[in-house]
Amino acid sequence: MRRRARALATISVLAVAGLALAWGMSTPHPLTAAELPAHTPDVANGKLLFNAAGCLSCHKPDAALAGSDASLPSGGSPFKTPLGTFYPPNLTPDPATGIGSWTDLDFVNAVQRGISPEGQNLIPAFPYTSYARMKTSDVLDIKAYLDSLPPVVSAEKQAEIPLPWLIRRGVGLWKHIGFDTAQWTPDDKQTADWNLGAYIANGAGHCNECHTPRNALMVFDWNRQFAGGPHPGGEGKVPSLRDLVGRGKYSDAADLASALQNGEMMGYEHLSSGGMGEVQTNLSKLPGNYVQALADYIASLK
Amino acid sequence: MKKTIAAAVALAIGAGIIGAGAGLAAGTADELITARQAEMKANMAAMKAMVSMLKGETPYDAAAVKAAAKSMADAQAEGVAKGVWDAATQTGATVKTGAKPEIWSNAAGFDAAWKTFDTAVAAIAATPDEASFKAAFPAVGAACKGCHETFRAAE
Ligand code: HEC
Ligand code: HEC
Ligand code: HEC
Repeated sequence: MRRRARALATISVLAVAGLALAWGMSTPHPLTAAELPAHTPDVANGKLLFNAAGCLSCHKPDAALAGSDASLPSGGSPFKTPLGTFYPPNLTPDPATGIGSWTDLDFVNAVQRGISPEGQNLIPAFPYTSYARMKTSDVLDIKAYLDSLPPVVSAEKQAEIPLPWLIRRGVGLWKHIGFDTAQWTPDDKQTADWNLGAYIANGAGHCNECHTPRNALMVFDWNRQFAGGPHPGGEGKVPSLRDLVGRGKYSDAADLASALQNGEMMGYEHLSSGGMGEVQTNLSKLPGNYVQALADYIASLK
Repeated sequence: MKKTIAAAVALAIGAGIIGAGAGLAAGTADELITARQAEMKANMAAMKAMVSMLKGETPYDAAAVKAAAKSMADAQAEGVAKGVWDAATQTGATVKTGAKPEIWSNAAGFDAAWKTFDTAVAAIAATPDEASFKAAFPAVGAACKGCHETFRAAE
C-alpha cells in the first residue's frame, strides 16, 4: 500500500515536472532588439526578395472579395493545409488590420522565428523554417518594401484548425527538433553565382519546403535533400530536383533557367501543379541573373 | 481551315465540356483517361511547334501556326465527343490520372478554363503574321498553365 502511494507520488511529480518542462519548452524564444543588425533598408532589394519568397502567393486578397487589388498582399485568401484552412493575414501597412504598427523586431521574429507579436508560435505552413536562413538585413528590406505599399483595410480571419492553442504549443515543442535557425552560409569552394542560387533556393525561395522529404516527426531529411516525396499540402507527390539534366528533364542549366523563367507558358512540363505554378510565376519576376544562378545551383544537385 | 477550328470550338462550347460526357461516354474509364492524356500530348506537341517558331529555332510559318492551333482545337473537340471528362473517369482501374476532383466539384470553373483556352486558340489561329502570332502566343501558354494550376494534380 505504502509502496503504491510512493509510486503514485513519484509519477505525479514526474508528470508535473514533465508538464512544466513541456510548457517551458513550448514557450517561444524570440530574438531581442540587440540581435538586429544596424541596417539602412533597400526597398528595391526588398521587392526582389518579396517575389523570390512568394509572400503574395499565400497573402493575396480573397478572390471572392470584389474590388481588391490582387497585386497587394492584403491577405484573407484561403490557404488549405492538412491541418485545416488558414487565411494568411494582411501584410500591407494598415495600422489596425495590417503590419503598420509592427516594429522591425516584431517582423523579424514572425518571419525568421515563427513567433507573433503576441508571443504565440506560428504554424510552419508559413515557411519561416526556410526564411530563418535568410540574412536578417534582407528580411528588413522586405519590411521596408511592405511599408512602401498602400495600406489596405482587411481584418484577420481566424484559421479553421482544431485546438489552436494546443497546436501552437505543440509547434513550440516541435521547434526544438525541427527548426534550425542557423542562417545560410556560402560555400567558399563554389562560385558567387552558385552561392547566390543556393541562397535563394534554401532561403527566400523555400524550395526545400516541398522538394525535400521529411521524417515521421516532420523534420527535413537532409540526406535526401531535394529528392522529392509526398506533397506537404497532402496532394500527390513532388518531383526530385536531383540530376535534372542527367535524367534528361532539361538539356542543360540554361534550359532549366528558361523553364523556371517561363514555365508551362513556353511548353515546359511539370511546372504548374501542386503550387509550383505560383512559385514559377514568382520566379519569373526575378532579374535574369538570379534565375540563372538558381538554375545553375539546382542543375548542380546530384 | 479557320472554319474547322471555329466548328470545333463551337462544338466544344455548345456541347458543354462536362455535360456531353453524361450520355456520350464511349469506353471504360481507363480508355477515356488514356484518350484525354493523348489529347494533352497532342496539345504539347502543337505547343512545342509554336514555341520553336517563337524562339526562332524554326522559321515562322503561318500555315504551321494554323496547323498547330487546329491540332489543339481538334484534340479538344474529339475529347468532348468521346466524353473524356465524364464524371465516371475520376479514377482509372489501372491507368493513373492527374485529373483533380475539382474538375467535377467546380464544373463551371473547368468549363471557364476551356473557354479561355478556346478563345486563345481561336485568336492565334487567326493571326496573319509573325508579330501578331508572337503577341497572341502568351494567352495560349497562360491557358495551359492556368488550367493545370487548378485542375491537374502533380504526379
Ligand atoms: C506557403 C504560404 C505562405 C508564404 C509563402 C508566406 N506566408 Fe506568411 N503566413 C502564412 C500563414 C499560413 C500564416 C499564419 C500562420 C499562423 O496562423 O500560425 C502566415 C503568417 C504570417 C505573418 C504573421 C502575421 C501575424 O499576424 O501574426 C507574417 C508577418 C507573415 N506571414 C509574413 C510573410 C512574409 C513577409 C512572407 C514572404 C517573405 C510570407 N509571409 C510568406 C503563409 C505563408
Ligand atoms: C508549394 C510547393 C513547392 C515549392 C515551394 C517549390 N516547388 Fe517545385 N514543384 C512542386 C510540384 C508539386 C512540382 C510538380 C509540378 C507538376 O507536375 O506540374 C514541382 C516541379 C518542379 C520542377 C520540375 C521538375 C521536373 O521533373 O521537371 C522544378 C525544376 C522545380 N519544381 C523547381 C523548384 C524550385 C527551384 C523551387 C524554389 C524556388 C521550387 N520548385 C519550389 C512543388 C513546389
Ligand atoms: C481546361 C483544362 C486544361 C487545359 C486548357 C489544358 N490542359 Fe493539359 N491537362 C489537363 C488535365 C486535367 C490533365 C490531366 C489528365 C489526366 O491525367 O487524366 C492534363 C494533362 C496534360 C499533360 C500530361 C498528359 C499525360 O501524358 O498524362 C500535358 C503534356 C498537357 N496537359 C499539356 C497541355 C498543354 C500544352 C496545354 C495548352 C496548349 C494544355 N495541356 C491545356 C487540363 C488542361
